[in-house]
Amino acid sequence: MATGAGAYPEPVIPWLSKSRLRLVAVLVLLAAFYSASWHLAKVDPAKLLSGLPRMASWTGKAWPPAMDELPVLLQRTGETIAMAAIGTTAAGLLALPLSVLAARNVTPSMAVYYPARWFLNALRGVDSFVFALLFVAAVGLGPFAGVLGIALHTWGSTAKLWAEAIENIPLGPLEGAAVTGASRLKVLAFALLPDVAPSMVSVGLFWWEFNVRASTVLGVVGAGGIGQELKNSMDLLLFPRLLTILVLILVTVTVIDQTSAWLRRRLE
Amino acid sequence: MAAAQTRIAATAVSDGAVISATGLTKRYPPDVTALAGVSLAVRPGEFVAVLGPSGAGKTTLFRCLTGLTPPDDGSVSIDGREIRRRHVFRGTRSDVALIFQQFNLIRRLTAIENVLVGRLARVATWRVLVRRFARADRQLALRCLDTVGLLDRAYTRADQLSGGQQQRVAIARALAQDATVILADEPVASLDPESAATVLECLRAAVAAGVAVVASLHQVEFARAYADRIVALRAGRIVEDAPAAQIDERTLELIYSKNGGAQA
Repeated sequence: MATGAGAYPEPVIPWLSKSRLRLVAVLVLLAAFYSASWHLAKVDPAKLLSGLPRMASWTGKAWPPAMDELPVLLQRTGETIAMAAIGTTAAGLLALPLSVLAARNVTPSMAVYYPARWFLNALRGVDSFVFALLFVAAVGLGPFAGVLGIALHTWGSTAKLWAEAIENIPLGPLEGAAVTGASRLKVLAFALLPDVAPSMVSVGLFWWEFNVRASTVLGVVGAGGIGQELKNSMDLLLFPRLLTILVLILVTVTVIDQTSAWLRRRLE
Repeated sequence: MAAAQTRIAATAVSDGAVISATGLTKRYPPDVTALAGVSLAVRPGEFVAVLGPSGAGKTTLFRCLTGLTPPDDGSVSIDGREIRRRHVFRGTRSDVALIFQQFNLIRRLTAIENVLVGRLARVATWRVLVRRFARADRQLALRCLDTVGLLDRAYTRADQLSGGQQQRVAIARALAQDATVILADEPVASLDPESAATVLECLRAAVAAGVAVVASLHQVEFARAYADRIVALRAGRIVEDAPAAQIDERTLELIYSKNGGAQA
């Protein structure tokens, strides 16, 4: 019901106030960060402009795709899927016990919980690509190095997500089973597993799908699969063959993604 | 004065009690005394209802009786052996069964599998891992489901059952466990009156089989209809411990009146 003379007092912000200075400081820091990044990343739009025609000419040369080596390439694609399947499954088997130790609500003791978490974080922190690089040096070129790389990284990632799934289940049913006097292992196997199994399978499928995508590039470090052919073709500038490989990767990844998504939907 | 009374009760604990508590005291710092010297003894085949307003100490009493919460003072014995603190996953006893207000069944398992949980402690680990129970155990589970009137729902998943049916499955699990004591904290608090009556009848069936039942209840009528004995808690003390038939309006006034029953 204020009338006339609109003289409500408002806070006055002086020109050199603290908040204004802070804002300027933040803007200056951001500008410095991005300009440094620009230089470190050696961004050069002129190069892109001059390079584009070259890429366009490759695309022209790539048509028609080379079909003569299709059987070999298909076998390599199979290798990629197999690497992902074996690596993910091995990771899942290893992750099963560790996810129980790394779940705050069912872990036997905090003295086990923290080391388990650290171990999983270390596995997760190193990409399967890096692991594969190490294993190529240890066990030689080929898909087996890729399997080992995938298994180690996925072990950490899967166990962490499973542990979180376990932490999210209601404890009541577990308590109800535990107070009958049954041992911990029996309670976990009989009462916990049915509750978390759907989300665990869902997470496992997601990692399988992710690993098929990841293992297309594992070949670049010599760890077998279609990625190896991709690198060879690139090195020899065999563009029609490159196109075939890219199409194969695209089709495989799409089919696997759709299958996995369909399976996961059915679990819910 | 009430403390003196409970101490007398403690010395009067009768022989043959299957579960007995002596001088249970539990304080929650800084200034809450949930239990102040509670003593109680229950014989086999006896149904004891624990009454009392919210905050009277009912849940703390149950947590102490089950060993889930250690009392500050006093002790609990089952079959004459004192029980010590137990972690949910450790040192549990299969002769005491718990019934929860929220049923706590494993939702994705069938009714019979939930009843078989009561057998876990006695079944070989490999059988649990591969989910293959012996025929004798399966037959026992079916018999227990029959006792609570749910034989026809044996292969229905727990989350497809109504609340009252789930609570009856929980009772069947307690029966399958061969428990000598069933402790039920608010077993019918989240059920409609009709389901609640059926659940209490199932508990009576367990009592008829020689099990001692201790149940906390909110509804006085249920306590009078189904229990043999009523124990009333108020502010952490037992203010009444009498056969159900002797509980009258005056006693209820004592338990529930706002002025602490001092003038009652």
